[in-house]
Amino acid sequence: MTLHSSRSDARADLLHGTLDMLILRTLMWGPQHGYAIGQTIRAQSSDVLQVEAGSLYPALQRLAKKGWVTAKWGQTDANQRAKFYRLTPEGKKQLLREESRWSELVNAIGRVMKPVATPGTDE
Amino acid sequence: MGIRAWLKRRRLDQDDFEAEIRAHLAIAAEDKVADGADPRDARLSSLKDFGNLTLTTEAARRVWTPWWVDALNDQISDVRYALRSLAKNPVFSLTVVGVLMLGIGLNAAVFTMLKGIALSPIAGVAGAARLAVVFAETSNGRQLSVSYPDYQYLRDHDRAFTGLFGTTVGRVNLGRGRSARQAWCELVSGNYFQILGVRPERGRTLLSSDEIAPGRHPVVVLSDGIWRRDFAADPDIVGKTLEINNDFLTVVGVADPAFHGTTVVYDVELFVPIMTAPQLGFRFGSQETTPAAILADRHAAVFEPQGYLRPGTTLANAAAQIDALSATLARERPLADAAERLRVVPFWRAPFGAPLILLPTLSVLVAMGLLLLLIACANIAGLVLVRGLSRRGEIAVRLALGATRTRVVRLLIVENLVLALPGAVLGVLLAQRGIPVLVGYAEQLAAPQRIFFNLGVDSLVIGFAVLVACGSALAFGFVPALQSSRVDLLSVINADASPRGAARGRLRTALVVAQVAVSLMLLVGAGLATRSVEAARTANPGFDPNHVTAVSIDVKQNGYDEARGRVFYRKLLDTARAGAGVESATLAEVVPMGFLDTPARRVAVEGYEPRRGEDLAFMSNAVGPDYFRTLRIPVLAGRGFEDRDDEAAAPVAVVNNTLAQRFWGGAANAIGKRIRVTGAGDWRTVIGVAADVKYARINEPPRPYIYLPALQWYRASLILHTRGSGPVDALVEQARARIAALDADLPILSARSMVSAMRGATLLYDLMATMLFVFGATGMALAALGTYGLVSYTVKQSTHEIGIRMALGATGRSVVMAFLSRGVRLAALGTALGLTAALALTRLLGSLLFGVSATDPVSFARAIALVLGGVIVATLVPAWRASRTNPLSALRHQ
Repeated sequence: MTLHSSRSDARADLLHGTLDMLILRTLMWGPQHGYAIGQTIRAQSSDVLQVEAGSLYPALQRLAKKGWVTAKWGQTDANQRAKFYRLTPEGKKQLLREESRWSELVNAIGRVMKPVATPGTDE
Repeated sequence: MGIRAWLKRRRLDQDDFEAEIRAHLAIAAEDKVADGADPRDARLSSLKDFGNLTLTTEAARRVWTPWWVDALNDQISDVRYALRSLAKNPVFSLTVVGVLMLGIGLNAAVFTMLKGIALSPIAGVAGAARLAVVFAETSNGRQLSVSYPDYQYLRDHDRAFTGLFGTTVGRVNLGRGRSARQAWCELVSGNYFQILGVRPERGRTLLSSDEIAPGRHPVVVLSDGIWRRDFAADPDIVGKTLEINNDFLTVVGVADPAFHGTTVVYDVELFVPIMTAPQLGFRFGSQETTPAAILADRHAAVFEPQGYLRPGTTLANAAAQIDALSATLARERPLADAAERLRVVPFWRAPFGAPLILLPTLSVLVAMGLLLLLIACANIAGLVLVRGLSRRGEIAVRLALGATRTRVVRLLIVENLVLALPGAVLGVLLAQRGIPVLVGYAEQLAAPQRIFFNLGVDSLVIGFAVLVACGSALAFGFVPALQSSRVDLLSVINADASPRGAARGRLRTALVVAQVAVSLMLLVGAGLATRSVEAARTANPGFDPNHVTAVSIDVKQNGYDEARGRVFYRKLLDTARAGAGVESATLAEVVPMGFLDTPARRVAVEGYEPRRGEDLAFMSNAVGPDYFRTLRIPVLAGRGFEDRDDEAAAPVAVVNNTLAQRFWGGAANAIGKRIRVTGAGDWRTVIGVAADVKYARINEPPRPYIYLPALQWYRASLILHTRGSGPVDALVEQARARIAALDADLPILSARSMVSAMRGATLLYDLMATMLFVFGATGMALAALGTYGLVSYTVKQSTHEIGIRMALGATGRSVVMAFLSRGVRLAALGTALGLTAALALTRLLGSLLFGVSATDPVSFARAIALVLGGVIVATLVPAWRASRTNPLSALRHQ
């Protein structure tokens, strides 16, 4: 998954939104640092989605700016210093909104891709 | 959240972000080591995995920066680039800035004058341009002020204005004895300061309660200027007493420092209630003799009511309402020989006002300023074009590297704007420096009268300059910039330096033609003005002012009453005549050719029955014995005044030839006829007819005029004229000494030669000619510079062509001739266009010209010669230089 930060690109909104959603989702299980977020998304997607640091860190800044996550320095299990991101209540609400938007989108795409299927059924 | 934390939240914390990245790299490396990698390789590969560090930081930073900061940053980098590239080419940059400075400076000066006269004529009063003025008009168009009772009626019944105030300006004597001086004084209605919104700096202004009854309000408000000059800004000035026209008034306040009265051009220093007019000796042409009755006389022309229109009321609306009021007034209080009607005009069109007189001159200057600006703009367009051509390499590289044309054009426009701002600033400075020089010149001519122009260079002028500068830089830099961006990459990369663009050549040609045409128009205008001033200077006014003095005094300034004054002037005549080298001496009320008309007096001619509504009123002068001999005015019939025509003798008068022709059919018939002049006693017998002279202006038509004997009809303020063959300065000093010998305490208002006393009549011509000359010379210089630049550039571009021609055997002479004929062809085209435009435009100058026609062949021929000469020189020099090029080196360069 390659993400550009060009804001004039209309496509970017969708992609930004998607990456943001993935990050928020990852933080549902507790605070994590940037590297771990990237690794988690990669592992969860069975190595399909590789989030580049160049997209991840600006995205984290964007989420912090919107107040959906907060950041705090702490220690990793391996006793490394790292900055941990935590979901805020605002962020949780946003994640719910994103999830419903996402499933609507997937449904819609699914209906387009499999026109024979009864509308409203999942895959 | 504290403010610092909030600020921190608004932007990326750089250190924190870098620490986070370092932590990321460390963890990633650790991960790899855990997977069995070599620690060094792990560090390197995690760095590689991360990607572009700088870009990531940049992207993170952009999350926090608002979009407009981004756009601004782009602009700033454009400006920075523009500054760098302009600094590398100082000759170009300084030329453009200089050209703009001249174009903007002269226009800013003209705009400042326009502002001071029409847009914001009253200093210290916001929105004064919205004032409207009411005045009376007789059936034959003579404009009159309104009487005080009529003003009161209008003020109390009008619904079109938010309020009507009245004001009239007069010269008063301030103080008594040696230190006495004259000052402009406005006699105003009680609501004057309130309606204008002028506040006191100290004490109070005048109020409606200062307008109850004549003689009951002996108060005065000072201007800030006189308070500082004459009273050293005395903090206890309020309550002190001033002697004005031998009457005593108490100072009640000092007006706002910015306020100089509402009489444009006059520096008004005193403001008194209109109710003090009788005690200060103002008569307003009233026949009434008791002071209290003057303000009740409906024939007295006191002032023009004026005020701000109510919101939503148009001028036409107000005129209709005032018309209706005046009809009601005529029905309710009928008045014999009242003025026909009342009219309403905007402030700048008020009769007797300076704006109305100055605006025609000013409009010529505005037109000249615009022409000059056009030349300056054509110049800049040429410069930008030439520079654009020599930058084709740079532009080609930018385009090749992927810059869009919009981006390149934007950059070029930013460059123009970067040049426009210093041009505007310097132009405003030029105007700011230049205007006081002009004003100082005018003040000198007006001395000892104080004048004031609202000619401050304020934010309005600066805004105007910036707008014009940016506008011209944009408009005239845009097309050339667009052309520059249309670079053919291939040809540039092939180092083909000779542009073949037909459009570019056309633009260049058009610029040369335009500059020639516009500068021709400017030069024609300047030539006509110069010739007209010359004609006005040398014109014969009908009398001989050379070797004559004009020394002005007012015996009231040392407290003389009429009896003592008569004795004084008798003695003065005797002693002046006895002076060494004095041929003759006389007295006069006014010096002719003072530019403005003196008030006309109503006249009755015995045996002549005026037609219904005919308004007989002529200008007059009270003069002493020997007046016509002293000024060398021929007496066509009868005799001039003599010593015997005094208060004991029968009342007499002298008329001019035009008046004698009009009523009696000739000079000889006039002798013995009788006339009566309003305000100057009973019927007078005509004893002489004098030849016509110019009474106010050199270009006035012949008009009737009346001379009254000063020894018979007493005037406290007179001018002593002496004629002698010696140097006039010595005569002036002698006259001054004679007056001092008679009364050392009597102040002398002005002592100079008659020629310099009359200079006011040519003041406007002088000022206009000076300005037009400056405009013409500047325009010519700019046009020559622009043409030179464009032609020499064309020549430079043709080096290759010249090389081939000369290699094929052309002589240097034929090369020069080829360029010259090209240049002359363009100049001829420009001249033809300019001539057509000039012929159409100079007709507008008609009323301002004297002694030359608007199509004066000499002025046109001179202008054509100058323009053609300029173009030929501008072509010859570069062509000659080109003809000396070595054909080999020119070819090798390719």
